[in-house]
Amino acid sequence: MYSPANDNQDYRASRGERYVDHSFMPPCQVACPLRMDVREYVDLVAQGKIMEALQVIRNGNPFPSICAYVCTHPCEDTCRRSQVDKPVAIRALKRFAVEFGGDRMIQAEAETTRQEKVAIVGSGPAGMACAYYLRKLGYPATIFEAHSELGGMLRAGIPQYRLPRDVLDVEVKRLTQMGVEIRTDTRVVSTDLLFDLGYRAIFITIGAHQSLRMGIEGEESPGVIDGATFLREVNLGLKPSLGKRVAVVGGGNVAIDAARTAGRLGTKKVSIIYRRTRAEMPADPTEVEFALGEGIKIRYLVTPTGIKRKDGLLSVTCVKMELGEPDESGRRRPEPIKDSDFTEEVDTLIMAIGQAPQTPADFRVRTGKGSTIQVDPVTLITNRPGVFAGGDAVTGPATVTEALAAGKLAASRIDDYLQHRYPLADREEKKSLDSELLPETIEMIRKIGRVEPSVLSTRQRVKSFEPVELVYDWETAVNEARRCLRCGMGAEILFQDKCATCLTCLRVCPYHVPYLDESGTIQIPVEQCQACGICVAECPAKAIVLRKPYDRRSINEELDHILKSAAESKSKPFIVGFCCQYGLFGTGTLAGMWREARAGAWIVPVLCVAKVEADHILRAFEMGAGGVFIAGCGEQCARENTDTWVHQRVAKVRKTLAQLGIEPERLQAFSPDTSQEDPARELDKFAELIGGLYLASVITQEVKS
Amino acid sequence: MIVAEQKPLEELIRTIAPYHRVLILGCGTCMTVCDAGGEREVSFLRHALQLAEAKGSNGAHTFTEYTVKRQCDYEFLDPLADRISDVDAVLSLGCGIGVQTIAERFPDIPVLPGVNTSFMGASKEWGVWDERCAACGDCRLEETGGICPITRCTKGILNGPCAGTKNGKCEANQDMDCAWVLIYRRLERLGQLEKMRRYYPPRNFLAVPRPKRITSKASIDTGEDDG
Repeated sequence: MYSPANDNQDYRASRGERYVDHSFMPPCQVACPLRMDVREYVDLVAQGKIMEALQVIRNGNPFPSICAYVCTHPCEDTCRRSQVDKPVAIRALKRFAVEFGGDRMIQAEAETTRQEKVAIVGSGPAGMACAYYLRKLGYPATIFEAHSELGGMLRAGIPQYRLPRDVLDVEVKRLTQMGVEIRTDTRVVSTDLLFDLGYRAIFITIGAHQSLRMGIEGEESPGVIDGATFLREVNLGLKPSLGKRVAVVGGGNVAIDAARTAGRLGTKKVSIIYRRTRAEMPADPTEVEFALGEGIKIRYLVTPTGIKRKDGLLSVTCVKMELGEPDESGRRRPEPIKDSDFTEEVDTLIMAIGQAPQTPADFRVRTGKGSTIQVDPVTLITNRPGVFAGGDAVTGPATVTEALAAGKLAASRIDDYLQHRYPLADREEKKSLDSELLPETIEMIRKIGRVEPSVLSTRQRVKSFEPVELVYDWETAVNEARRCLRCGMGAEILFQDKCATCLTCLRVCPYHVPYLDESGTIQIPVEQCQACGICVAECPAKAIVLRKPYDRRSINEELDHILKSAAESKSKPFIVGFCCQYGLFGTGTLAGMWREARAGAWIVPVLCVAKVEADHILRAFEMGAGGVFIAGCGEQCARENTDTWVHQRVAKVRKTLAQLGIEPERLQAFSPDTSQEDPARELDKFAELIGGLYLASVITQEVKS
Repeated sequence: MIVAEQKPLEELIRTIAPYHRVLILGCGTCMTVCDAGGEREVSFLRHALQLAEAKGSNGAHTFTEYTVKRQCDYEFLDPLADRISDVDAVLSLGCGIGVQTIAERFPDIPVLPGVNTSFMGASKEWGVWDERCAACGDCRLEETGGICPITRCTKGILNGPCAGTKNGKCEANQDMDCAWVLIYRRLERLGQLEKMRRYYPPRNFLAVPRPKRITSKASIDTGEDDG
């Protein structure tokens, strides 16, 4: 099991220091409402450690499989890789980890250790997350849901082609397994009644299902339907008849979902009418792309002003708009252009201009702007003791991830309340990293294009409600994950007293990151460091470490382990290979290679082969290795000059070997190339060579004796 | 800065042969900067010696390692007392000054030099060092455009160049710049070419008493006799 706590002990143990994670919080994690450790799980995917990646994901997210499909990935929007080329495809990688890591198989368990019953009103993402964490905390939890099935907007709002229902069903089943009491078809009308039933705390998470109206003439006509109702009907199994031409009013995700759903129901002509331009559209750009690909027309800067119904058709009067001054949302306010009216005929008009919560009056909670429930932002408590609220009901329509975060927070706040604890402020978080990469750093970072997961063809898409996006294959996922710049975990001079200011780090850094400040001290700005580890290996004072060591185990520990295993195994001689833990190792190719090559080859996975120190190599020989090889990741390497550093150290160690009468060719460096016909051949030859040298030495000894 | 290089491994193996427990002692200042005896090199040497041990299978030696900030001052050596009591010899990767300071501070234990202290110099680039100063004790760099003929001229002549200069290189080594050509060019740049015309009488190095001592304290009479 991956355990960072064991890492890097060789440096720190020598100084009697414990492992400390000095890394900064990367922008992706800062952007995530759930504060997911994105950098960590992306790195684990890059190593091919999918189960561990899933473990990290599950630590922060109760329903990762849901997020894997529908998250709006604010992490990708802030990803610093976009300053180099394109952001890392984080959501797609999560989807890969969830599917390949076997998230479905994971059993959730919970034990009831508390007496206080908690009622959750509404079963959307916030309600489900709250129930999940309350069970984890040991509380009996009951979910009340007005509809016949759990999920809230996940079931009633999001179309199946974006979130397959079996994914949702697995999560619901898991909640049941954890012992969450589920009451469907139960509409809660009064919170007092719940208190009377013995519930000690209530979490209101009723969402925002009430569609807003434009207030134009004819909005009540038959044939005009609101987006949320339309999606709910379709998602709950109805097939509303829409006619041949459908227009959707709005520019949010609901508008796009409604339009794409209408298309899938067989409507020939679907168009979206939006009063601003594409730049201001709140919908996820990828979804907009998909909609356009599916033949949906979007008309920008148009808004309807009146609807008339004649002979079963809707005659919609629209007016063209232009953008004026920015409004309070920061977007430019659309203003009608005089005398630009025109009329369009459609069969159905879907109004998707926004939704608001509809809170029963008997809840007696204070509501504010847009009918949202008002809560204390820290405690999530409403104006009534014991009544908490979260999700869309508090924020207005927002994302699934924000709702999950609200549910997670609510569980701990309810816990504080029930245990009469002062609500603990969040643990002091790590410093976050937010500055941009410098142009000179960007210049040195190898450009590697983002690979999008494949999608169903448009023709297949519009016919069915099958999920549009497919999952990565193993190799693509590993290579995509390798694009991560590992923000915030770079090198630091941990032992300032040891630093001799020799300037080695400044001179060897491929990214020109370290600099000498005015006081003559070396600074390694964490914002720029790419965590390649070259300065760590080259520092003659051993004063530099990575802020968060990403070798899976410290190299010395790994060597100890090999020593033990090699002593037990019968194969002689044995070979030690220091290999890049990503690349061929991540894809599993390397594992295949050395298994084929010869038994008795032991692999030490390392963050980067340029980080393998000369004394590590010597140590492998000292342990009795007949041969040592270093295998980088070849053309997939994030840097251009990794081999140079490997050859430096190989040359140094070979010189020493020669002085000791050991054949220098027992140490070799490979740069395996996936494009080669047989990447294992070189390694095979090496194993043969070492085997030959071994035989020769055995014979010589026998002759002597 | 003082520049040194590690002795050949064969020599070190011979040096430590009579002793069982050896402390490999690094120095955190000049020897770290010139890659000869910092913590990294101490560790490398230890593994190299252990490998030699494993290969020779005489199993007679055990090695420990430690690096102090500077070997040439007593105060830095104080924490060594315990470690030294556990070993039979100290293999110092400090310069000659470090080795001697340790020998003075710990008179009961053999101190073995691990590096050849070579010169005082500067780094040309990563991993390359050039000699720059001979510590002659009588600096004349203002006359020679900031380039030292004593160190950088193979012959160390004070009135150069000699007849052996060719295309700006030295007759002794085709890859080496002629110091006096460098001096000429620099003086030309400074507009001080007249300094080339001056005659510098030979210096009497015999008149410089060794070992030297410098005191920065006012009126000192320690009464000590160093012999």
